[in-house]
Amino acid sequence: MTLPDRIDPRPPKKIYRWDLDKTYLQTEFDTLRQLVRTAMQKAHEKKAVPGAAALIRELRASGDSRLCIVSGSPTQMRAVLAEKLKLDGVEFDELVLKDNLKNLVRGRFKALRGQVGYKLPVLLKSRAHAPVEAEEVLFGDDAEADAFIYSLYADMVARRVSEPVVHQVLQAAEVYENDITAVMKVWESIPQADPVTRIFINLDRLTTPASFAHYGPRLVPIFNYFQAALVLMADGHLAAPQVLKVMVDLVQSAGHNLFTLSNSLQDLIRRGLPIAQVAQRLSEALQGPQAMLQVVRPVPDIIAAFTKRAASLGAPPAPAPVKDIDYLSLLDHARPRTHKKRRIE
Amino acid sequence: MSAQRPVTIAFDVMGGDHGVLEVVKGAAQLTLDSPNVHGLLVGDRALIDQALTQVKYTAERLAVHHAPDFVAMHEKPAVALDARPRCSVMVAAELIRDGEADAMVSAGNTGAGVLACARAFKLIPGVRRAALATVYPTAVSRGEKNDPFSLILDVGATVDASADDLVAFAVMGAAYARIISKNPDPAVALLSNGTEASKGPARVVEANQKLSVIKGLRFIGNVEGVDIPKGTADVVVCDGFVGNVCLKMLEGVSETVIELARYAYKEKLLWRAGLAMLSSGIERIKEVTDWEQYGGAPILGFDRLFIKAHGRSKARAITNAGKVAAKAVKSDLTKVIQDALPGA
Repeated sequence: MTLPDRIDPRPPKKIYRWDLDKTYLQTEFDTLRQLVRTAMQKAHEKKAVPGAAALIRELRASGDSRLCIVSGSPTQMRAVLAEKLKLDGVEFDELVLKDNLKNLVRGRFKALRGQVGYKLPVLLKSRAHAPVEAEEVLFGDDAEADAFIYSLYADMVARRVSEPVVHQVLQAAEVYENDITAVMKVWESIPQADPVTRIFINLDRLTTPASFAHYGPRLVPIFNYFQAALVLMADGHLAAPQVLKVMVDLVQSAGHNLFTLSNSLQDLIRRGLPIAQVAQRLSEALQGPQAMLQVVRPVPDIIAAFTKRAASLGAPPAPAPVKDIDYLSLLDHARPRTHKKRRIE
Repeated sequence: MSAQRPVTIAFDVMGGDHGVLEVVKGAAQLTLDSPNVHGLLVGDRALIDQALTQVKYTAERLAVHHAPDFVAMHEKPAVALDARPRCSVMVAAELIRDGEADAMVSAGNTGAGVLACARAFKLIPGVRRAALATVYPTAVSRGEKNDPFSLILDVGATVDASADDLVAFAVMGAAYARIISKNPDPAVALLSNGTEASKGPARVVEANQKLSVIKGLRFIGNVEGVDIPKGTADVVVCDGFVGNVCLKMLEGVSETVIELARYAYKEKLLWRAGLAMLSSGIERIKEVTDWEQYGGAPILGFDRLFIKAHGRSKARAITNAGKVAAKAVKSDLTKVIQDALPGA
């Protein structure tokens, strides 16, 4: 260990930001009964979304990353959630939960349901303490406003969105005026950079991927974490054997098979994600000597299935032109799902 | 990792009256309703991509196979298939032949579908000709599901059927009724011009004699055209020529009745009032005889199954056609037919 390492941990090169409910955890809270059940669950009773823990473990394996979790779960659940993550072998650096009791006591009722006014400041504050050069990958879901918040956060840090637009967005999202001031202040303190390279949205509600087209190609809606692992391999975050470990986890824990996995791969190719090379590298890795991979044999079948699905699509269509995100036209996405003004599904 | 393939239904997404979207929607819904069934969408990739932007689906159970061409409804099947061998219905049939899927659903050109099957599939041993079956609403319901439909076959695949062909059709129809309608002992009849065994052309008389001695088949003899809507038999057997004429006539009668009702509705206030009073009853009849719940007509006799959905099929009918296909595959309909054929 070098002297600087002993004084201060190495600065992270990568930051992985995760939401918990419906992104990492399989949580149902659409009804009061589900909400109560979720609140009463013990750590060992909580279930992670298949492949999520394996993906995080692989992303953390290089040792130069940070895992920052920001969740709308109440602060009272910290001990249970921390224990669950520990049970799954997931080590985190930040776990920020929502202090709704404080909101309730102060009569800030809009803040109880609001996502933008809670998550955006948390993300910005965390970024303010991160090295300028640290790259970020964000993970959320389609149940609330993650796609909107993550994209806005990324474009705020990159200064691709103007102050009046942010102000208008925060007002439309019913963020309290003093919180808007705080957001603007912390934003100002963050050095300009373009750290967010990828945003993943777990399609818990099976929202059509096309619904997220407004957010551009940086945001990838996923049906499972094998799809995320494939994209992360193409982005240079994971090596082929690490993707295979995620794949094995999905096979063992969620009953995935050759067909669900090759269909998932084809879906990404069909949607224009540049992962054809990844499939090839994955096929090569499958022929490696790792004993763990015995579980996903027979290898020739897997390679054939991947190749067949990739080839059966014909010529790819031209990629859609990349446009700046028009946040003002997406204001509905910023409102809580139950909000009467929200009309998107 | 399990390499055992889930039941996969290939959907020819081209050629239906309502376009690609309805077929894609129906196929996607099938995979959402039935987690152990996968869909393989065969057709123009760009059109499928476009449809999938509007449809809720799960990528894990839905795959796409590009086919550059398709056969339109008005085209002559043989000419179209020869000119465009990469048309969607042919590609779908070949994918099934190659083991990529288990059964096919198409709402496109019926003749092209049957011909694609004939070119890609094999006939079940003991079956010389395939039969196109269809369901027809009847006065009585049958089976565990109380289906108010009887099965009529053949309605057009084999115009000139022999006595042995008619026997095979009877066995295939009974097997299908057992599996799909959950009717354990369906009543099977030959369509003729009289109920006596000696009535009808020589091939019908001969078929009657042969069917009378088949064990495990409840053959009730001959029925006349009037018995079809009555529901006297659960499975009505005839050659493709007679079946097609009969089916078209039955369709024509029902269309004429509707036209007459429309005329009456416009013509007299009293008649209009009468129809209004009957409307709930008419709605109920429509509900119980809703063909969309049945999904489509099977082509029986090949070693793989083809469900021909109605050209007018919307998503619900396509989903149900897929369900019927998946059920037939899971129940190993082909094997059941093969085992039931005389001499098996």
